[in-house]
Amino acid sequence: MKRVAIAAISLLAVATVAQAELVGKPIPIGIGVAQTSNVALLGEEEVNGAKIAEKYFNDNGGINGTPFKLIFQDTGGDEAGAINSFQNLMNRDKVVGIVGPTLSQQAFSADPIANRAKVPVIGPSNTAKGIPQIGEYVGRVSAPVAVVAPNAVKQALKEHPNIKKVAVLYAQNDAFNTSESGTFQETVKKMGLQIATIQKFQTTDTDFTTQVTAVLGANVDLAIVSGLSADGGNLVKQLRQLGYKGPIIGGNGLNTVNIFPVCGQYCDGILIAQAYSPSADPKNAINNALVKAYRDKYKKDPPQFTAQTFTAVQVFVEALKKVEAATKKKITQMELAKVREELNKQIRVGTYITPLGKISLDHEGEIHQENFYVAKIKMNPDNKTGKYIYVK
Amino acid sequence: MEEFLQNSGFLIVTMVQQSLLAMSLYYPLMAGQLSLASPGFYALGGYTAAIIGTHEFFTPLRESIGWLAFPLEWLVAGVLSAILALIVGIPALRLRGIYLALATIAFVEILRVLCLNLTITGGAIGIFDVPQLFESRWSYIWIFGPLLVMMLFFSYRLEKSRTGRAFQAIREDELAADSMGINPTRYKVLAFVIGAVLAGIVGAMSAPFLNTWNARQGTFDASIAYLAYVLIGGSRSIWGPLLGGAMLSALPEVLRPLKDSRLIINGLVLVFASIYMPKGIAGVISRLKRSLTWKSRKNGGEA
Repeated sequence: MKRVAIAAISLLAVATVAQAELVGKPIPIGIGVAQTSNVALLGEEEVNGAKIAEKYFNDNGGINGTPFKLIFQDTGGDEAGAINSFQNLMNRDKVVGIVGPTLSQQAFSADPIANRAKVPVIGPSNTAKGIPQIGEYVGRVSAPVAVVAPNAVKQALKEHPNIKKVAVLYAQNDAFNTSESGTFQETVKKMGLQIATIQKFQTTDTDFTTQVTAVLGANVDLAIVSGLSADGGNLVKQLRQLGYKGPIIGGNGLNTVNIFPVCGQYCDGILIAQAYSPSADPKNAINNALVKAYRDKYKKDPPQFTAQTFTAVQVFVEALKKVEAATKKKITQMELAKVREELNKQIRVGTYITPLGKISLDHEGEIHQENFYVAKIKMNPDNKTGKYIYVK
Repeated sequence: MEEFLQNSGFLIVTMVQQSLLAMSLYYPLMAGQLSLASPGFYALGGYTAAIIGTHEFFTPLRESIGWLAFPLEWLVAGVLSAILALIVGIPALRLRGIYLALATIAFVEILRVLCLNLTITGGAIGIFDVPQLFESRWSYIWIFGPLLVMMLFFSYRLEKSRTGRAFQAIREDELAADSMGINPTRYKVLAFVIGAVLAGIVGAMSAPFLNTWNARQGTFDASIAYLAYVLIGGSRSIWGPLLGGAMLSALPEVLRPLKDSRLIINGLVLVFASIYMPKGIAGVISRLKRSLTWKSRKNGGEA
């Protein structure tokens, strides 16, 4: 009998310990992005942003004096990998919140699981429609395509007021480009312009004669290309080589220096809308810190995904500070489940001054960003390198 | 235990799921046909479940039958896969060896491009917010597990039956089998359809399991992965795909603590396994078993 009682008590003790699980020290924040597979090119930029943020905010006192640490779990490029990464972060690494995953399709797979476990998630690069609506614990700092893309069309109209007919071209086997092109088409219609032709291609194509002939035949004043760097770059090149003279708008897939070697001199003048500009506001101290740290390490300006992941970490750090202020307790003395719940509430309160400018997350978790930018590609005389000139 | 299941439950269910997909490749192989079409039927099954689960056209149906919608999804996916497998199989199975493999790869590719362009399949983004059968990922073992047991039993019976022996006869020599009065086309198509139905049902079960379904499920890469499961596991017994699928899908996750080098190790394991175990893991096990029984008979036997 006595033995049974002892066993019962010790079992009870174990049970209570398991229930009142405290937050680890330093405070763990999870980063679940693609570090391997064909998506790793994007994930790499995100990892860099997260690492710079970890150093920057810890050097500036962490969470009211308590340091935090980032825990990286590779998602790979597929849906199952994203779920595995999230499960590891939530259950084994006991993180307070997760930044990730890289792709929208992965988010549709892994975010519902975090949401059911009541772990806050901030997407650094999920731009598809419907991401914040996955659940109350899901948010993002990447403005949806529908908000970013129209800025480029506006800029093109400002430079060429007599645009009437538009050609839209997109890579149909890529989720991002397909949805981005849909946005472009809506914007064009809304602005009273006429879509003269819609041409589809594959990200693996190299010959675009069919599409270019159709564009030239339709006699358009503006071409909008949504593709990735290799196919998009080649398409632009062939458009110019076969005699298209009008302005060209590129989608976010062309928003990388990797297209310079592809289209060479023909890259010149492509307009691309941006959610981030490294040089937009010289008075933005936090952006200056990011740009400086990135330049010191990689000898170039930080790309958009780097800035967005930095921002996601920043939102977690500032929201954790707000949790401490609201509960008047140290995070490390609180229960993990409680911290996750409070953190999720605080993420959606107030505004953040980030490298993306002033942002806030609404009750659904959708980002509201004040400024968007448009850049124009300017090629150097060697026709192999170039830069993005911010025109807006 | 609870915590272990929370964390590793998804992986364990994935292992069972991948084993089942490897088995779907094994049935055509039983009849000597190298078909890589399974990912196509897997995708078809997933889309069937996702569309029945989310499309507004089916809302009244879902509301009236409740959770029975899930078994219905499996059934519809299985039937659709069988019909499509018949349509594709009859002409495709006139091809042999590598030509059949190429034709089935083309089939998978056609389905993928079709799904990318249809509105009902959600284009490239796919279908999300798929209704859930269970709350926790681990609970999905209650549908994948019984299916696995059923398939093992089915295979066991199949191998002993007239049909199973016909499959083997065709695998060993199609011409000889034909001259013995076995109709090769009929049995080849049958083996193909069995594999397709299994892949379709697994797909229909996987859509809720993965929460979402898109054209990235069931691609050419998946064809190669399933083939690797069967080759590394062993293609001469049903335990081969079972072991191969479970081990190869678990390997990258088990190696997770190794960070970046895990994929290198994963690749090395594949290379060495195919060099030193030409008959797969199942082949090694049966050889061990044989040598053990032989030894014990020699030592303890007749004396």
